[in-house]
Amino acid sequence: MLNAFINDMSKLLSHITLAGILLLIVTACEINQSDILPEDGFVKIYNHPDEELALYPESVVEMPDGSFIILSAVKDENADIEYPYTSLVRTSSSGVVSWTMDYQWLAPSSQLILQNGTLSFVAMDQQFNAYVVTVDPSSGSETAQQALDITMPLYSYTDEQGNLLVLGYDFITDASWIAKYNSNFQLQQSNRLHVNTDQLAYPIQQHLNKMGQDYPFFIGSYSNSSASGYFVNCFYNYTLRTVFLDGTSLSALGNIYSYQTEEGISSLIQKSGTLFGLTSYYEGNNYIMAGAEVDVLSSENIKDMPAETLYELTYRAAVMPLQLTTDTENFSLFASQTNDNSLVVYQYALESDSLLNTHTRDFDERVEVRDLIQTADQGIAILAGIYTLGKYKRPLLVKMPPGLFVPEED
Amino acid sequence: MRNTKTTLIILLGLMLSYSISAQNSGFLNQLRIGFGGGVNSAQIVDLEPYNIYEDLSGDTYLNTYSDIFQNIGNQYFVQIEWFNDYLIVALKPGTYTYRFSKLNELVFSNETVEQETPYLLRYFTVPLEVRYRFDLQRFRPYAGASIAYSNLLGSLDASNQTFISSRFTAGAVAGTYIDLRYVILDLNVGYHMGLHNITNKADRFETGGGETFAQDDIMLNDIQINLSVLFSLSKQKHYSNVECFY
Repeated sequence: MLNAFINDMSKLLSHITLAGILLLIVTACEINQSDILPEDGFVKIYNHPDEELALYPESVVEMPDGSFIILSAVKDENADIEYPYTSLVRTSSSGVVSWTMDYQWLAPSSQLILQNGTLSFVAMDQQFNAYVVTVDPSSGSETAQQALDITMPLYSYTDEQGNLLVLGYDFITDASWIAKYNSNFQLQQSNRLHVNTDQLAYPIQQHLNKMGQDYPFFIGSYSNSSASGYFVNCFYNYTLRTVFLDGTSLSALGNIYSYQTEEGISSLIQKSGTLFGLTSYYEGNNYIMAGAEVDVLSSENIKDMPAETLYELTYRAAVMPLQLTTDTENFSLFASQTNDNSLVVYQYALESDSLLNTHTRDFDERVEVRDLIQTADQGIAILAGIYTLGKYKRPLLVKMPPGLFVPEED
Repeated sequence: MRNTKTTLIILLGLMLSYSISAQNSGFLNQLRIGFGGGVNSAQIVDLEPYNIYEDLSGDTYLNTYSDIFQNIGNQYFVQIEWFNDYLIVALKPGTYTYRFSKLNELVFSNETVEQETPYLLRYFTVPLEVRYRFDLQRFRPYAGASIAYSNLLGSLDASNQTFISSRFTAGAVAGTYIDLRYVILDLNVGYHMGLHNITNKADRFETGGGETFAQDDIMLNDIQINLSVLFSLSKQKHYSNVECFY
């Protein structure tokens, strides 16, 4: 009897072992997960315990070792100076804080400048004079500063050749002030685009001290058979408009204009040749023109461009564009925020206006996108502001892995 | 998920075919079938914490789980046993539900916000126990070992996306059979250790709300107390201290 039992048991155990091996094979990949690393994708909120500080994130860069440095403007309720001071945070590649450093420089403007291992940002002193400030990325300590000879810096941008472009505002002549510097921050060229009204100095001041409307000032590069140079979104001739500048003289060529300052282009990216992708806002709605033909030499009204309404975006939503370059395919991305507290990324084909995918990440509190960069692993990082507990504005960094945008082949 | 279901069907098919062959060999005489249930207490082992908040002043925030004896869950199962005089092999497939809470803290100068997120994980589990039995007539205590495969059942709770569906455990069991003439009771206590991280690393931030927390890498252990009622398919010969033959 015992032998029969043992025989039966042996059969049963062999069947169960076989089934167990099958199960192990099937579930091994799910359990293993060793190929998923913390730095592949994460969400981090950088909280300061002081309730009287409001942190306005401005720019993020990825360092060569995969870590991140975040630039924020910090507004202190109790400060004598109404303009926010500058703060940098360095994180590990998985978003954990390495160091933080505060600076007396005021109203820092996008973007952080990473050149030859040195990190710089553009900000102003109490007299509105713009400076480029260089820091040691390993410690955050300030190593150099240089006056840029313009005032009220609103945006900074570094082109592929390492030239620095800074958009400022001249409150004496009431003009948007664009200046180009070489990689050593020596002035190469500058130009003033006159606003023709003295009514915009105060909104500019409110933009800088975070007390009024946040205008979508930006700078980018373009190049096609007609011309090459930079496009700048700034106040010009009464309105907020995108002006195409000659790359050498910085003289204005064409532009896309809108209705005074109530309407505006919130982002612009060149896809190829005369094909651009842009977003805009007007009368409470946001619009996208994912594949618009733009003549950089002529003056065009934004209303003449066929647009698709993005009802889900917040009032006058900030939009950050990016050309995502991968090993297999290139895309144009537009990141923004929705009325239901989500960050949203629209993924378009680069050579057309085809919407390929919409990526969202939900939050419990209001979020506002501030920067969008491509990471070395061909994913993206989104810098946003979030109202923690619905009250305290803090930086939010979201890293999204490349697999979201380029599906892995089976 | 689909592969896992296919494998489970294969497993059940093998068992069924084996049962049919066992019937032919008179194996039914050594078979007991019944049902049972009990309570469990989940113990969370935090393998690697992932806090969504980073403090810019250098502090760290509380990120922990509720204590083992606060995490009371339950299980219901069918019990199938093959036995001889000393050894018992028991299968106890059923639903095993675990409850626990994650506790997070967010610190400000004038207020500290505590966030508690409750979890309910319901698995379909197939435990296999091998028991060595001591025969004391009416009471037949035993001790043994257990391995189990679990598959996480669907849930409307978004935070359950942060877990993988598969779970393997191994553990020790002890208990006693109580012979009540027509039925046999099985009073069973077991401690089961998770053999791996149950967090879905790719979706650890899909907790339903964006900024509440991120799912840590965790292992789920548990203590179970079960009571089963078993019916023997063979003619009962010994049911009490007083032998009584029909």
